[in-house]
Amino acid sequence: MTNNTTRQAGLGNARPAARRSNPASWARSLLDASDANLARVLLAPAFLLLLLIVVYPVCRLFWTSLLDLRLSSGMPARFAGIDNYTSVFTDPEFWTALTNTLLITLITVPAALLVGLALALIANLPFRVRWPVRLSLLIPWAMPLAFVGMIGGWFFQSDYGVVNDLLRHFRSTRIIWFNSGWLSFIAICLTITWKTCSFVALVLLAGLQTIPQELYEAASVDGAGPLRRFCFVTLPLLRPAIAVAAIFRMITSLQTFDIPLTMTRGGPGTSTVTLAMYIHQNTVDFLDLGYGAALAVVLFFISMGVTTLYLRQVRTEL
Amino acid sequence: MTRILRPLLVLAALLVPPAAQAETTLNVYISSALRPEVMRQAFDQFEKANPGIKVVPQLGGATSDLQAQYLNTVLSAKDSSLDVLMLDIIRPAQFAATGWTLPLNKDVGNPTAFLKQYLPAYADADTVDGKLVVLPAFADAMFLYYRKDLLDKYHLPVPTTWSQLASEAKTIQAGENDAQLQGLSFQGAPIEGTVCTFLLPYWSMGKNLVHNGHLTFDHAAAVKSFDLWLGLMKQGVAPRNAAEIVTDQTRKDFEAGKAVFAVEWAYGWSLFQSADSAVKGKVAVTDLPAVDGGKPVTCIGGWQWGVSAFSKHPAESVKLVKFLSSVPVSTLLAEKASLLPVFPPLYHDAALDQAMPWLPQALPVVEQAKSRPVTPYYNDVSNVIRTQTNAVLAGSETPEQAADQMEARLRRVLR
Repeated sequence: MTNNTTRQAGLGNARPAARRSNPASWARSLLDASDANLARVLLAPAFLLLLLIVVYPVCRLFWTSLLDLRLSSGMPARFAGIDNYTSVFTDPEFWTALTNTLLITLITVPAALLVGLALALIANLPFRVRWPVRLSLLIPWAMPLAFVGMIGGWFFQSDYGVVNDLLRHFRSTRIIWFNSGWLSFIAICLTITWKTCSFVALVLLAGLQTIPQELYEAASVDGAGPLRRFCFVTLPLLRPAIAVAAIFRMITSLQTFDIPLTMTRGGPGTSTVTLAMYIHQNTVDFLDLGYGAALAVVLFFISMGVTTLYLRQVRTEL
Repeated sequence: MTRILRPLLVLAALLVPPAAQAETTLNVYISSALRPEVMRQAFDQFEKANPGIKVVPQLGGATSDLQAQYLNTVLSAKDSSLDVLMLDIIRPAQFAATGWTLPLNKDVGNPTAFLKQYLPAYADADTVDGKLVVLPAFADAMFLYYRKDLLDKYHLPVPTTWSQLASEAKTIQAGENDAQLQGLSFQGAPIEGTVCTFLLPYWSMGKNLVHNGHLTFDHAAAVKSFDLWLGLMKQGVAPRNAAEIVTDQTRKDFEAGKAVFAVEWAYGWSLFQSADSAVKGKVAVTDLPAVDGGKPVTCIGGWQWGVSAFSKHPAESVKLVKFLSSVPVSTLLAEKASLLPVFPPLYHDAALDQAMPWLPQALPVVEQAKSRPVTPYYNDVSNVIRTQTNAVLAGSETPEQAADQMEARLRRVLR
């Protein structure tokens, strides 16, 4: 209230005085006086855009999740309260899909971080020509996910896959990867790790390049070997970059869809179905829009929850 | 003056479309795998007979599943960009419930009399609750393809039961001493074809899965159905990786001479007889075997033409659909694309004898073939059957576990 009064008073009296005394301070006071309104005007388009493309669809999703809206029934939409949510938590397929999704996240995020870190360290070496190394890092990242899933499917195919061809030298019988839930799972995790480690490597490479060379020189003077330099210089200074890469990877891995869909179609049985695949199946294949929306809301909260927890933990590091 | 007028007149002529260009464009959604080049010939004939109507094919995915996903997205948004739709035989119940196709009852005069010209299975499948939802495009069914040359070589008769098929396949595999030669190729991946894999022995035992929208699941028959396929795999007749096999993999393996028997749709025939085929002239086709003490039965397939309820040109679309579901087009599709006719007399038509010499054998198979469960929730039902069958073939569930799961999941779907 005090601020408003001052501002209104300023509009009437102080401004002409300032205008006369110093043009720069006049401009500043003009902005100070109406900065709230100016901010509103400048932020309005972005705010409206956010309302349109984020808030409205999310609200609509919440609303749909409260409806009994199964297009194949031929019946109009009916308000169902929390029925869809009750069905979600009593649906064994939901729990299978959720377990698979969390397992994929728990396995592929650390794996991609480890492999990505190794790749970033290699790419950071003082090569004479750097672009071939950087380009090879970019290629898996630039490939469409469905494309990578198809390549993975061919690699692990039991009859003509490259993996079995390589394993042929070590064992007499071929492995039928997609005949077993856990072997299919390994194949999917390996493919996801290959696809995503290049993104992690790029983020970490950017982090590595911000570490001053002098710190390594000082550590060397103090007698630190390569391992101690890595543990006490590189890793602590790389933690913010690692945190950023981990958060991005975690959110996208909770939404894993394309690679398992194209590699195994969720098989054998439902052993590699992820939550995103289950949402897609219920919404697009079964046309059960209410139930699909409820599943999507659950995934939304899981993503939000995991991200918030993680951000809280790494806040100081960021 | 004329120097100014002439360019202006030319410009005006370019800007104002002539009357002949004011034509209706019909967008027809067809499968990319179902010989679009032959469909184009049918569209050309229609355009010639109907000046002012242009037919533009819109190619969809190669499989029924991919096409359904696309159509579900487009039509649930009430999009008017498609006028005529080609639909798999398993879809009419869903399209009737969602109201995504225009009923054609008024456009065919007396529907009962009109439908009598088609194979009875299609007349039934295309009418839902008295509404004529779609018109038949071409027929299909699952057949047993076999290597006639190998059966002749080992003096073996055409098998009529699955156990006879297993025994003959083992004889040939042992005789040929070829590690690459499969006895039987069938579909076990979590795809639509695997639904038929489960249903073939199940139906052969005289059991039904769904009747009037209600589940009539027979647990013991389901376990026996799974056991039959597992038995064929354990005996080495079917490959150990059956859970990976999709429809076109069966076609490729049989075409490359890597299988004695194959369970496959009708589209395989023309490809097996193509110049690149390793089995050209060595193939014959028959109806599928029965379980011991059961009846031979097969899964009906085939495609239909429907008019989108959101089309802006319904009258022209109905005209096109009626044309596409006519005897001349059915003959064209049989002759040029080996797609089975929907009119019984064409199965004995001498003009088609050269293109499809096996038509007389196909007729009783198509006439006796059974429809997969007729329900608007077919996609859900199909998903349950294919995933449980795939789990059994992969060895991740026992037949008993899978039958329990299948029953519980189907009860939830058809609640």
